[in-house]
Amino acid sequence: MLAWQIFRRIAQMGLGVVGTMLMATVVAAGTDELVLRDEGQETRLSIAALRDQADERFTLYDPFEAADVAMRGLVFRDFLVEHFGEVPEALAFEAWDEYRVTLEGWDDPDWILVTHQNGEPLTLRDRGPLRLVERDYGDRDPENLRGFNDWIWMIRSIEAVP
Amino acid sequence: MTTPRPWRRHAGWLWLSLMSFTTLLILITYETRWVYPEIHAYFSQTGNLTGQQLATRSRDYLQEGLGVLLEAPDDEAAREQAAFRVDLAYSLFDIGLYRREYACTEPSLDSLDGLSRRLSAGDVLTPAELNRHLLGPIGCLTEIEMDQLDRRSEVTSAFVEDTRRHQGVVLGGSLVIFLMGLVFWWMHERQRRNAVRATRESLRWMGRALRDPLTGVGNRSALHEDVMAQTGQAMSLMLIDIDYFKQYNDTLGHPDGDRLLRRLALLIDESLAGQARLYRMGGDEFAALLPCHDGCGLARRCEEITERLREAAIAHPGHPENRCVTLSIGAACFIAGEAGFAAGYAAADRALYRVKEHGRNGWEASEGEDAQANRVDANQA
Repeated sequence: MLAWQIFRRIAQMGLGVVGTMLMATVVAAGTDELVLRDEGQETRLSIAALRDQADERFTLYDPFEAADVAMRGLVFRDFLVEHFGEVPEALAFEAWDEYRVTLEGWDDPDWILVTHQNGEPLTLRDRGPLRLVERDYGDRDPENLRGFNDWIWMIRSIEAVP
Repeated sequence: MTTPRPWRRHAGWLWLSLMSFTTLLILITYETRWVYPEIHAYFSQTGNLTGQQLATRSRDYLQEGLGVLLEAPDDEAAREQAAFRVDLAYSLFDIGLYRREYACTEPSLDSLDGLSRRLSAGDVLTPAELNRHLLGPIGCLTEIEMDQLDRRSEVTSAFVEDTRRHQGVVLGGSLVIFLMGLVFWWMHERQRRNAVRATRESLRWMGRALRDPLTGVGNRSALHEDVMAQTGQAMSLMLIDIDYFKQYNDTLGHPDGDRLLRRLALLIDESLAGQARLYRMGGDEFAALLPCHDGCGLARRCEEITERLREAAIAHPGHPENRCVTLSIGAACFIAGEAGFAAGYAAADRALYRVKEHGRNGWEASEGEDAQANRVDANQA
């Protein structure tokens, strides 16, 4: 009985938080596209097409999985040059979990836009459908997950910031 | 073997001092540029999304999904949104660290997987079923959050303690380096002052080496140096010898002889109106060095000295030919320089010799082609 009361209280708290978020009407159906924005123009790329183009394969120790993971994806710098004409100074990312961040320093072939993990396409549950990882993260301690905050998950849109 | 220059001898302390202060500067720069940003990086994520625990974010999504389902359990769109949030929660829950360290993680993920499948299949879930699917994962996530917070508190405390210890070490080290710098600087300053004192002492001794201690006028070395310093200039040299000085000493004693030397040095200097530099060349011989502009007028100057001496009428009881002290003077002009000085000195010496040969108490001046002389008859005195 006590457990049910706690459960109801948690649910009520959740309702309060979600009230405004429901207006955003985020639906899982949209996760099959990546939105690119550059100088006011919007381009939508099919995630399936990106998965087909992914030709970069490597295995690394994923700090979040705490295991060696076989990954497949695209060299992010080449991807940017292909779709933005150059590597923008900074990029604003929006993720499916409402995370938004603007970061610089993408002219680096180490960054991979991952589409597959252990042979399977990334889904929302795998922190996909697209995820940015560093192929070589040097001597950073994989036990300290805060050191990998710039590995952006569940990428929904990318905007070039001049 | 060469001796190091004075500034090099004490430059070592200066360098050590400068190195100490430079090290201090580097240490402060390092602390400012690297250590404090590291502290900032550690605490700066507090308050933003990445600063939250993944477990917290996962629990939030489960609560949101639960809220959606409780509000409209029969609505298909609500079920889709709830399923979306459960998947987000799953992705943030399915972390290697959580699986490894919290036993409740695996069954909770299985439970969420079952819930997600039922939502995708369009099942309408009762509150009891939601309870069964979500209570376990939410409880597990809460446990993870609490434990992670405890761990973070421990890490933060350790970090703060480390930082405090580090700052203590840096402060102590800075103080030591600063004091070392001051000590090295003080050593450098002390050595520099010693070097300056030694240099002054050397110069004083060098000055003494060029002076006649009895009369205070220059000596033979000083004459040579002064002539060499005027190389190329027309000059004149007077060699002045005290007649029968030995007899003066023998008669009146050496203390009186010394007094006579001092008195004559003063008299000659006054006679030449301070325009000549005076030197004592030996026991009873003086030399006077004069500039020689537009003809030296040596004869007039010799005459002035002789006249002044005559007026002074200094008694000389041992003089075989006179009652007073008399002088023999030989003078010559020359062009300053090694060869010119040697020639001038020889000419003045020859002139002096001739005066002495003719009975002393007189002078002879040689100015170029001209030679003038005046010899006092012994009977005049």
